[in-house]
Amino acid sequence: MITVALLGNPNVGKTTLFNYLTGSNQYVGNWPGVTIEKKEGYIGDRVKIVDLPGIYALDTFSNEEKISKEFLEKGNVDVIVNIVDASSLNRNLYLTLQLKQFKKPIILVLNMMDVAKAKGIKIDFEKLAKKLGVTVVPISASKGIGIENVKKLLESGNFFRPTNENDYHYIDDERENYRFIEEVLSEVIVKESVESTTITEKIDSIVLNRFLAYPLFLLILYLIFMFTFNWVGQPLSDAMDEYIISGIVNLLENLLQNSSPWFSSLIIDGIVGGVGSVIVFLPVVMTLFLGITFLEDSGYMARAAFIMDKIMRKIGLSGKAFIPFIIGFGCSVPAIMSARTLESEKDRKLTALLVPLMSCNARLPVYALFAAIFFPGNESTVTFSLYILGVAIAIIIGLLFKNTIFRKDEEPFIIELPEYKIPELRNLMINTCEKGKGFLKKAGTIIFAMSVMVWLLSNFNFNGFTDMENSFLANFGSTIASVFKPMGYGTWQSAVALLTGLMAKEVVVSTMGVVYGLDLYNILSQQFTPLAAYSFLVFVLLYTPCISVIATMRKEFGNRMMAFSVFYQLLLAWIVSFVVYNVGSFIIG
Amino acid sequence: MSLCDLKPGQCGYIQSISGNKKLVKRLLALGCIEGTPVKVKLYAPLGDPIIINIRGFDLAIRKKDAMNIQLREA
Repeated sequence: MITVALLGNPNVGKTTLFNYLTGSNQYVGNWPGVTIEKKEGYIGDRVKIVDLPGIYALDTFSNEEKISKEFLEKGNVDVIVNIVDASSLNRNLYLTLQLKQFKKPIILVLNMMDVAKAKGIKIDFEKLAKKLGVTVVPISASKGIGIENVKKLLESGNFFRPTNENDYHYIDDERENYRFIEEVLSEVIVKESVESTTITEKIDSIVLNRFLAYPLFLLILYLIFMFTFNWVGQPLSDAMDEYIISGIVNLLENLLQNSSPWFSSLIIDGIVGGVGSVIVFLPVVMTLFLGITFLEDSGYMARAAFIMDKIMRKIGLSGKAFIPFIIGFGCSVPAIMSARTLESEKDRKLTALLVPLMSCNARLPVYALFAAIFFPGNESTVTFSLYILGVAIAIIIGLLFKNTIFRKDEEPFIIELPEYKIPELRNLMINTCEKGKGFLKKAGTIIFAMSVMVWLLSNFNFNGFTDMENSFLANFGSTIASVFKPMGYGTWQSAVALLTGLMAKEVVVSTMGVVYGLDLYNILSQQFTPLAAYSFLVFVLLYTPCISVIATMRKEFGNRMMAFSVFYQLLLAWIVSFVVYNVGSFIIG
Repeated sequence: MSLCDLKPGQCGYIQSISGNKKLVKRLLALGCIEGTPVKVKLYAPLGDPIIINIRGFDLAIRKKDAMNIQLREA
């Protein structure tokens, strides 16, 4: 087995090449300690390809570069495949020169030959290979041209292997390197000048126009949001919930008719109920990522970051972080996952911590129930105020975190605005499926365990199987109920509702349905004052969203971040809810 | 004169880069070397950041950072 390291600048078609070479034979994980995706793939059983993050250089202090460098030094790399944009060799070859320091054979894949041709660029491949001491393969990855040659070359091992020190021409100085590149290129490139306004410039003049930029941005977000939560994703999720999950429940109910009630309850209420409530997110996650990958691949994402940067900077984030926040209004799970696309570790973490404060879909049923009972006629005002409160708190917490735990110096914001292109279907599909697979595998395991645990706690006490009112959970509920007393809702029922709401926020409503019984409306209106009801809703808005978010947090950032996010949100919810109730009581008198 | 003093559409030649070590290193790696021609393409709708073109590709950069790129008169 030979190990191939795949490297290149961002936006040069590295992912496309990787997908073509390995097909579906790839595995996605994380590099240890950082939230950067690690992708490995295989060609047959003789070639293993490791897709390294897109970088411009190896020594400008980013995590992506650190990982790449470490892998090149310690990963037993046999050959480096360096993919470059043939229409922009000047900058691309800088990384190539830096790669020489590792003294490995390099295959220089010249991608986008079609684009280069259209720009009137002619390249003497043989001379380029000789000058740089590498093997050169021209391809057009988006059209699938030349990929076979790369594959064959890797399988045969028939590439140029430098033998003497001179073949490893490497200088540790930017100026020298660029001088060398310019010298080489002047000999191997003939460029017929066809300078004119490019399509990209035309699109940019509209998309980045002073007056049109924001309306267009909002429109695009709106379309993605509708696509995910109204047109495709959510309907699919609902259908899945209605037909598949309930079908399974029916089937199991029949199968388990004769088994003991505790066992069928464990399987149906515990496992299928818990895991099922998460699996139904799958279509939402996948459609959303389809949309995001589309934006990313088309080149628009960089523009969105560009126009939002000034605004997002105020809370210590860069422009790109705006997207996850919008998604957060739909569901925090894909929102946290989409933070992956952000440049710096700090941005990814801060975004993931703030995103759950955006009021997600699942909280709406709770608002709806309480608003209908306590604020008839003002339902939408009350609901809207909660959404605004979430955003306001996110800004405040953002400022707080920016000036405390994330007080690292601001990363310089330099992003390339790639040329626009039409995303390739194949890439979109592979990417979306990978996201879906990852979601199921990782989130599934922890949710399975938690579901069983919650079921145990809500159905057992020291005397064995029991109804919910006498369970550990109810006991625990009355113990922690006093915590909620200062906010006006210190009953064990609301405590239990909030606790089970950790499974999913909608569960707050269904739990109340179970513990209060059928006369929910009347009982609730006696249990809460309107102020206490609002303060309860504030708590629902701000406290740790749900087990899926916790699982996603753990998967993306590890145990410490998960624990921190859970506790800070609980604390935050308590404080704000407390303030709302007590200031409210004071005003009302 | 710094890169910030150029209006959209204007060009200049890079003379030197100062400031944050990370920033300098990154810009150098991207080819912002002495003598390289650079053009300011446009400003963001809110005036910051700006888009510059160098060695045939577009970069978005904040004004605060662009101020560290000194130009010599074209």
